[in-house]
Amino acid sequence: MPLSKGLSFSDWGLRQRDFAEILNISSANHLRSEYNKFVELMLMYALVDCNNFFVSCERVFRPQLEGRPVVVLSNNDGCVVARSNESKALGIRMGTPFYQISGLADSGKLTACSSNYVLYADMSRRVMSILADAVPKIEQYSIDEAFLILDGVPEDKIPDICRGLVKKIRKWTGIPVSIGIAPTRTLAKVASHFAKKYKGYNGVCVIDDEAKRTKALSLTPVSEVWGIGRRLAPKLRSLGVETALDYVKRPSDWIREKFMLHGLRTWMELQGKACVEAETEAARKSICCSRSFADMLEDKEEISQKVAGFAAQCASQLRKEGTAAVHVTTFLYTNRFRDDLDQYFPSATIALPAAASSAQEITAAALEAFRMIFREGYKYKKAGVIVGDIVSADEVQLPLFGYDAGLRQKNDALSRIMDKLNPVSAPPLLRLASQKDAHYADGIRCEHRSSRYSTSWDELLEIK
Amino acid sequence: MFGEHLSPCIDLNKELTDHPAATFYGRVAGDSMRDAGVSEGDVLVIDKSLDAADGDMVVCFIDGEFMMKYISFSDPETGHREENAMWLVSANPDCTPLKVTDLSSFSVWGVVTYVIKKIRRRQ
Repeated sequence: MPLSKGLSFSDWGLRQRDFAEILNISSANHLRSEYNKFVELMLMYALVDCNNFFVSCERVFRPQLEGRPVVVLSNNDGCVVARSNESKALGIRMGTPFYQISGLADSGKLTACSSNYVLYADMSRRVMSILADAVPKIEQYSIDEAFLILDGVPEDKIPDICRGLVKKIRKWTGIPVSIGIAPTRTLAKVASHFAKKYKGYNGVCVIDDEAKRTKALSLTPVSEVWGIGRRLAPKLRSLGVETALDYVKRPSDWIREKFMLHGLRTWMELQGKACVEAETEAARKSICCSRSFADMLEDKEEISQKVAGFAAQCASQLRKEGTAAVHVTTFLYTNRFRDDLDQYFPSATIALPAAASSAQEITAAALEAFRMIFREGYKYKKAGVIVGDIVSADEVQLPLFGYDAGLRQKNDALSRIMDKLNPVSAPPLLRLASQKDAHYADGIRCEHRSSRYSTSWDELLEIK
Repeated sequence: MFGEHLSPCIDLNKELTDHPAATFYGRVAGDSMRDAGVSEGDVLVIDKSLDAADGDMVVCFIDGEFMMKYISFSDPETGHREENAMWLVSANPDCTPLKVTDLSSFSVWGVVTYVIKKIRRRQ
């Protein structure tokens, strides 16, 4: 039996009111037409997830690391942010401080790599471009995950397309990926876990009927469900909900009472009813600081100081809102109204290891991105910095916090002092030395960083 | 407008890379491909998307090192083909061909499509 077709509200155990509220609908006619759409139309979503992405990037250029325990460390070599399957088998957990496992690294049982975000960003761009070429639309969800929106693609063709993509991405870039296919984003995420976990799927798992859905949900701990996570899991466990199936078996009233609309949305998604919008506004919020220059600028030093200034403004805004950002993008524009001049509109994005709001971290990343895109010989008219993937500062993933709490606190304290001394408008009284030029890695430990093989002419693979 | 009539300049990225998402670069160390005109310091354009054909120059990872070799589906000495075997051949008489029989653990990392060689050594 296909999911979700021909069911009425009561089959869903849903009250009309809930449905209307979730979809934010007020008129009865509108509600009816939306409901009809929802039961008639079955879109499929595919979630593409790169396996142990940072480790896989390292292995492309260091094949000797295949089959061995490998971890990638956060900024400043603080803690573990990515693990190979072999390191997981050693019991190393996400967020483990490096000093606790440095013995294993010293004795050669484990390879620890400093993070090399320039390399990872380039490999991510390659994977995403292959996906974007293959399907009508993709939504990049993070540096290593993207949803494929398969509107208009015949349902029976989807698994083959996805199997082809797994092979192609592996061959073209060396990166192994898993793909989960299902009628909702939340179920697609569940399916991708299975595709990754069990070799028999060959990287692609499809949840397209009731039997598969029920089986998959019964094997999925509720803590692994997208939108529930580890924070709500203890509460659910205390209420007797262990698996995703336990969760969907509870009546909608119960879910609503305990977990509000957010919980109900997840509940519907797990039933096969898509109601999580593409990139909800809150999750994808971003802040942009940019300005057109009075005169066109050519000097690298001068523009980099402007970029540092915009980054500091973004960081200050984040702190004011009590939020933190994961992605930092720098962009440059030449003057598009001057046909007589060469045109260049580059941008680059740096993914931070953990969401940050300190002026130091945001500025360092913005300058790193700037260095990736700046080219001599153009006259630039505008520059800007965008911070994205904004999360509430108390939602910043805790394991990542432990590692360099000291440095993080120092950065945050310094930023607070800057906030106090610098008036809101007017040029800042106190600013970072990096508002001149600095390297992203300056003052940050990265003893085990691999080369930027794919983006730096001076750091290419050596071939004998 | 004036600018619209300018023909765009030659873009080497476009000319030298058929598959940008699969193209990587490598720098030559050593002289194992000397007689093919590939020398120390040259830059290889490597396309990972291609399947290696007989006679292609390829990059492979052997004994902990990236190496470039010609791939040969037949014995370079006798010309005979063998099932489940291929040969990696240098362009340097000092290096003997390497016979690969364990094809399950061997893989080509990428196929060399161009060599970029700096001719003028002075600045």
